[in-house]
Amino acid sequence: MKVDLVVDARYKSCPGPLLALAEAVSRASPGQVILLLATDPGAPSDVREWASNVGHRVLNVEKVGDTCQIYVEVSR
Amino acid sequence: MPKISIVVSSDKIDKVFPAVVLATTASTMGWEAELFFTFWGLLAIKRGYEVKEVSLDHKHFEGKLREAINAGAMPDWREMLKQGKKAGKLKVYACSATMKLLGIREEDLIEDVDEVVGAATFLSRAKDSEVNLFIS
Repeated sequence: MKVDLVVDARYKSCPGPLLALAEAVSRASPGQVILLLATDPGAPSDVREWASNVGHRVLNVEKVGDTCQIYVEVSR
Repeated sequence: MPKISIVVSSDKIDKVFPAVVLATTASTMGWEAELFFTFWGLLAIKRGYEVKEVSLDHKHFEGKLREAINAGAMPDWREMLKQGKKAGKLKVYACSATMKLLGIREEDLIEDVDEVVGAATFLSRAKDSEVNLFIS
């Protein structure tokens, strides 16, 4: 998957990963894909909720060791 | 757009922190968010006042909490508040009655405060909130 930007929010507790992602998304352009790295166990569901509220798309979530890799497509 | 209104009446970090987490997260989700600081909560938004103490019952966690904040694992609540305000519609209100009680003037408040208001003003703005919380 083509990734335009990686946001490394590992070892940050909630809502750190989501806030880091939201800030990156606010500077990104529609169509870009951001990969969020997070170890907070609440991050995948938080990101899904956030994305459905503000209109972005979660493309995929993978767990590699302790790290969740969350791919988000900027939609607007 | 959903709305959350939170009354914060404590200056302890374990009370202020979750209130700001919820308001800021709501704001980044496109919600409206209102924080109303009253009584000891008002101290948290006083310029130069450091919110660092943990509630007495859990005092032994204070060092651990400070370590997490210093290490960047937990965000700084003031930075979070700024991000919430920048991201959307997060308003910070100071309670007019307690300002008088604690001898705090408007110019003593941090710059993130939007307005000094009374109970009726807060109620009229909070009445259409889907989520209303009182954190003390």
